[in-house]
Amino acid sequence: MQDSTSVRGMQDPSVMPEKITALLDSEGATDIDISGYAPMTGGYSRLMARFEAKFTIDGEQEEGTFVLRGDPPEGQAIIETDRSQEYAVLKSVAPHLNTPPARFLDSKGIHIGTPALILEFTEAESTLPWIEKNGISDLPLKLAELAGAMHTIPVDQLPSSLARPTSGDPLTDQIQMWKKTAIDHVEHLPIFRYVAAWLDKNRPPPVPVSLVHHDFSTANMLVDGEGDLVVIDFELATIGDPREDLGYFKAYAQAAPPDLIDENPDDFLSRYREITGFSEEQVNPLVMTYFLVLGVIGVVSQIANVGSAMAKGETSSTNIAFNLDNLLFGQAAWMAATDALEAALDGEVN
Amino acid sequence: MLTQPTTDKILLAIADDLNSVVLPSVTDEPAKVLLGQIDQLLRRLSRRTASEIDWMILEIKQINDAIGRETSDMSSYLLTDVASAYSEASGALGEAIDKAFSEDDTQQIAVLRQLLVDRIAKEQEILGQLDLVGRG
Repeated sequence: MQDSTSVRGMQDPSVMPEKITALLDSEGATDIDISGYAPMTGGYSRLMARFEAKFTIDGEQEEGTFVLRGDPPEGQAIIETDRSQEYAVLKSVAPHLNTPPARFLDSKGIHIGTPALILEFTEAESTLPWIEKNGISDLPLKLAELAGAMHTIPVDQLPSSLARPTSGDPLTDQIQMWKKTAIDHVEHLPIFRYVAAWLDKNRPPPVPVSLVHHDFSTANMLVDGEGDLVVIDFELATIGDPREDLGYFKAYAQAAPPDLIDENPDDFLSRYREITGFSEEQVNPLVMTYFLVLGVIGVVSQIANVGSAMAKGETSSTNIAFNLDNLLFGQAAWMAATDALEAALDGEVN
Repeated sequence: MLTQPTTDKILLAIADDLNSVVLPSVTDEPAKVLLGQIDQLLRRLSRRTASEIDWMILEIKQINDAIGRETSDMSSYLLTDVASAYSEASGALGEAIDKAFSEDDTQQIAVLRQLLVDRIAKEQEILGQLDLVGRG
């Protein structure tokens, strides 16, 4: 169970080594030594900290740096997600993707004080600072390969707990989510209604469903020593239309450039199609822009829901208000995208 | 009551002090991120508080004109009452948008879309520059 005192403890280096030791001990580790515990920034929706650990497990001695990733106090999360599911996703994608392995899970927060998981720390560098130092390099092609690898993981190898399209069609589900978000919000959102109607009218041809990251952006990518992209943070993952991730990447890049896809869209799309086997009709610049709008609704609906809760006095934090403002930047981007596509789409996406 | 300096000016003064006095003395990284968010919010709130009631009343009339409704006089200028009336008009606009799309009424879609574009322009004026404080 989570209690606020325990959660605040995640920021407290004097209490956390003992809690982490208890978690590792419960998983069968012995000779445990935890040191250097320090809270980290950059965990947008979860509390994060890094620490050094030495322990023995399954007869093997291990020593290294790890990351603890736990839920914030109840009512303060900007989005509600499940650490157990995130852990299961990380385990299932590890053979296919360059991502720091998940090692331990405290699903109910029995030891840590809040639901939390432990990942191996990566020395890889945040993408935007890496680009500032090294330039774009061949990251656009590596991005295509990362997206392609993620979207071709066999669906039957993913956790059964992952949400799947309830209507059977991910586009219908996503458009419904736009409408539902508009209706459920604490005040009417006519721009959301417009976007939903527009998306419904301009559907592209379908592709097979796959894992969708749902926060696929440079904020959740690192660059390792070999110059390869490392993808992190699968807390919002579902089964859906893979093109949602491409659209989301572009939407995020508008707010936090550069847009690696825009560096050379043809090369990016060509490589992505080559890996996924999708046709040019299914994946092209216009379709990608369509998904720029459609693909953000997962995160957007979470932010809107928490914003409603704050308006009703059920929760309160600066972060929630700050993210609601970011929705307004999003609205401008979505409307601009639909405007730019109006002429181009005529007869091409329909 | 004292109305001067107006709320927008006081909020700006608070933001400036947070930035120039408080922030330099803070070493904790999560607290710095939070201060960055608070600074942006205060500056946006300063712009918003100076104009939001006038903005909402004007837009309610524009929406009603576009969808063929009469605009009645406001019975109260309390922020919550004006916001409630604004939300009601926004709901009516949403209904009109759904109807225009279902009837493929391109002319009405264009009219309604312009209302949304105007709303976004005002929102952008209030928001200013986006800085995703706290994201890598």
